[in-house]
Amino acid sequence: MAGIGLLAWVWVAVIGFIAGCVMKGLHYALTPMHLRWDLYPVAHEPRRDHGGSYLEEKDWWTHKRRTSLVGEVSAMGEEIVLLKGVWKNNRSLWWGSMPFHWGLYLLVVTTVGLVVQGLGWSPAILSIVLPWLAGFGGGLLLVGATVLLIERSSSPKLRPYTTPLDRLNLLLLLAFGAASTAVVVTDGLAGAGAAVASVLRLKPLDVTPLLGLQMALGALFVLYMPYTRMVHFFAKYFTYHKVRWDDRPYVAGGPFSSRLEAALQYGMDWSAPHIQTGRSWAEVVTEVPEHDTKGGK
Amino acid sequence: MERPRIASQGDLLRFLAENEDVDPARLLPLPPPYEDWVDEPIKEITEDQRTRIEVGPDGVCGAQIPVPKSEEEKERLVAGFLSGLRKLLTKENNWTFLQPLLVSMENCVKCQTCAEACPIYTASGHMEMYRPTFRAEILRKIVDRYIKPGGNLFPKLRGNDIELDWETLVKLAELSYRCTLCRRCAQQCPIGIDNGLLTREIRKLFSQELGIAMPELHELGTVKQMAVGSSTGLNPAGLMDIMEFAEEDITEKTKLDIKIPFDVEGADYLVLHNAGEFLSWPENLQAFAIILEAAGIKWTLSSELVGYDSVNYGLFYDDIQFSRIALKHYEVAKKLGVKKIMMGECGHAHKATMAAADRLIPDPLRVRTESCLVTLEDLVLSGRLPLDPSRNDFPVTLHDPCNITRSMGIIQPQRNILAKIAPRFREMEPHGVDNFCCGGGSGFAVCQSLNFPDWRTRVAGRVKFIQILEAFADCIEPETHKYVCAPCSNCKGQMRDLLTYYDAWDRCGILYGGLVELIVNAMSDIPEGFLEWEFH
Repeated sequence: MAGIGLLAWVWVAVIGFIAGCVMKGLHYALTPMHLRWDLYPVAHEPRRDHGGSYLEEKDWWTHKRRTSLVGEVSAMGEEIVLLKGVWKNNRSLWWGSMPFHWGLYLLVVTTVGLVVQGLGWSPAILSIVLPWLAGFGGGLLLVGATVLLIERSSSPKLRPYTTPLDRLNLLLLLAFGAASTAVVVTDGLAGAGAAVASVLRLKPLDVTPLLGLQMALGALFVLYMPYTRMVHFFAKYFTYHKVRWDDRPYVAGGPFSSRLEAALQYGMDWSAPHIQTGRSWAEVVTEVPEHDTKGGK
Repeated sequence: MERPRIASQGDLLRFLAENEDVDPARLLPLPPPYEDWVDEPIKEITEDQRTRIEVGPDGVCGAQIPVPKSEEEKERLVAGFLSGLRKLLTKENNWTFLQPLLVSMENCVKCQTCAEACPIYTASGHMEMYRPTFRAEILRKIVDRYIKPGGNLFPKLRGNDIELDWETLVKLAELSYRCTLCRRCAQQCPIGIDNGLLTREIRKLFSQELGIAMPELHELGTVKQMAVGSSTGLNPAGLMDIMEFAEEDITEKTKLDIKIPFDVEGADYLVLHNAGEFLSWPENLQAFAIILEAAGIKWTLSSELVGYDSVNYGLFYDDIQFSRIALKHYEVAKKLGVKKIMMGECGHAHKATMAAADRLIPDPLRVRTESCLVTLEDLVLSGRLPLDPSRNDFPVTLHDPCNITRSMGIIQPQRNILAKIAPRFREMEPHGVDNFCCGGGSGFAVCQSLNFPDWRTRVAGRVKFIQILEAFADCIEPETHKYVCAPCSNCKGQMRDLLTYYDAWDRCGILYGGLVELIVNAMSDIPEGFLEWEFH
C-alpha cells in the first residue's frame, strides 16, 4: 500500500512540477510586448566588453546587426556554473549558495541518469558515475542548505528579509540532501535505480524506509518549487533575455508594429485626474486633457 | 556606534512604521581635502509644514504629498492604492511594463547582492530604508497579502503580515523618491531583478491612480511642458528672445555670425535640447550651434510646443505622460520632415526618446534618432573640425550619465572625443556602465523644494562627489582649474548643487560643464577662451 502511495506521490509531484512550470512560463510569456528597458552590458553585443551597444554606431540601421551567441552562453555559463555575480558582489553568501546550487545540479543530473537507465539504456559509465554524483550532490546540498540557513537566520542583512517559510524550505532541502547522501552511503544507487524504473512503469515501489523518505522529500520539493521564488531557475530567461538583454530595435512593418497596434487599442481605467479613464491607450496618449492645457500650478 | 539593526521579518514592518533621520555623522567619509568636513544636518520640516505635507520616514520631503483631511480620505486613498495595484498587474493598464514588473516582483530571493551597488544606501551609512530591496519588499508584501488569492492564509509564515494603512502607504510613496532609478542594483543582481523598475512602478501607481507625484515632475514638469511648451516655463516667444541673446553671445565670443535655425523643413537633423540648457547653460546651446555650423550640417530647432524641449519627465513616474510627450517629439520631427532627430546632452531624454519610446511610436510617426555623442564623435574623428587639444590643457574627468551608459550602452564615443581634445583626461572609478549616478537622477536634480536638496547633496550625490575628488587627487589644489565633463543637463544641475554645497570651486578649483563646450574650446579657428572659468 505504501508502495502505491509513494508511486502516486511521485507522479503527482512530476505532474504538478510540469504544470506549475508551464503555468508560470505562460504567465510571463503571454504578457504583451513591453517598452524597451535594456540594461548594459548586454551579453550578445559584440561591444559587450566595454558595455557598448549598436547605438554607438553612426546610422546603425544601415548596418547588419550582429549578435554573439558565444557572449550570451558564456555570460549565462558564468552565472549558472560559478555564480559569478554572487562571488563578485556578495562573497559571504557565495560559500553557502555555491554548494547549495551545485548540490541541486548534481542531484538533477543523477535523476536524469536514473531515468535514462530506467528507460532501458544503461551504459556502464552511468553505473559508475551516478552514485558519486548523487553522493556528492546530496552532501553539497546538505552543506549549502545548512550554511544558508545559518546565514539567513543570523545575518543582519538577510534575516529581516527571510520569512519562516524560507527557513522551512531550506530545512526541507537540508533534510533532502542528508537523505540523499545517506541513501548512497547505505545502499548505493541500486535501490534508487529500481525505484525510478518502477515509477516509469507505474509499478508500486518497493523501497527501504530511507529511500522512501528521500523520494517523498524530493517529490515534495519538486511539487511546490514552481510556486516559489526558486522558479528563478527558468524565470531568469525572462529577466535576462526578455528584459535586460532585449535590445531588439523596432522596425516599421516588422513584428513589433502589429503588437504595438494591438497594445494601443487596450482600454485603460486609471483614475488620476490627468487620465481620461475608460478610453483606449491610443485615445488617451494622443490627447492632452483639457485641464492640463491650462497649465500647472 | 553600530547602527541599530533589524532583527527579524516582523521588525522590517516595525521599521517602516518608525522613523530614522539621516545622521550626518554616519555619512560616508570624504577623501582629502575634506577629511575634516562636517556636514550640516538636513533641515527639519517644521511642525507647521507637517500639518500640511507628509514627510518621509527619514525626515525628508520629496513627493510633497498633502496630508489627508480626514480618516475617510485616508481610507479612500488606501482603497484607491489597492485598486491601482490591481490595475498595475493587468495588461490593459500596464502593457508597457507588465512583463518586467512581474519577473522582478516574483523572483527576488532577497540575497542582498544588490545592496552595496547603491550609492544612496552606502552613502547614508547603510540606512535600512534605502536598501534597494526595502521598498520592493514592502510592495511585494502588499501584493501577496491584498492582491493574490489566499493572501490571508498563514500571513506570518509567508511573511505577508502587513497591515496596510495610509501611514504605511505614504512612507512607501516617499521612499519611491529616494532612489534615482540608476539601475546599478539591477546590473549586479544575479537573477536580473530590477529594483529601480519596481520603484518606478510604485511611483507610477501613485501617479496614474491617485494623482500623487513629485510636483516638480508632474504639475511643474510634464503638465507644464505640454501646456506652455517646456517644463522650464519657457514659451515660444521667450525661446526666440533667448536665441537672439545666444546669437549675440556667439558673435561676441567668437566673431562668428551664426543664425540659429528654426523649423527648417527637410533638415538633416532636428536637434532636441533640454530647455534647461537655454536658461542655465546657454553656452551649451551656443557650442552646439558653432560645431554644427562649422561642420556644414543642415540642422534645425523646433519652435513648436514641446518640440523645443527634449525633457520627458514621464520616464521617471508616469507612462501616460511619458507617452504623450514622446509622441509629441516624434510628431514635431515628422511634421518638419527631418532626416533624423539628434538628442542633445540630456541623459533621460536620450533614453526616453531613443530607447523607451522605440516600441511606442507607431509606424507613420517614426523618425530615426541619433545620440549627439555619436554625431560629435564622427565630426571630431573625421577631422571636419579644426582642433587644437593644447587649448584644453587642464585636468578633465568624465561623468557618465546613467541613462546614456547603463541604459543605452553609449560608452565609447564620448571617450574617443575626449581622447582627441583633452590631453589631461582621466577616468573616474568606476566608470562607463559601472558608473555611479550623480544623485540627481530620475528628476531629483530639478527638485528644489523643502529639505530635499539637502538630502540630494549630502546623501544622493555623495558617492559621485567622492569619485570626483579621487579623480583629481593628484591636482586637488584650487590653483589648478579642473573640469568635470557631464554631458547631461540633469546631471549638470546636480553637479552645480553638489559642487556648491561642498564649496568645491573655491576649495578645489573644480568646474563642471558639457562636452560640446570642451570641443569648441579646442577649435583652433575661433578665438581662445570659449570656456569661461566662472562657477555658475
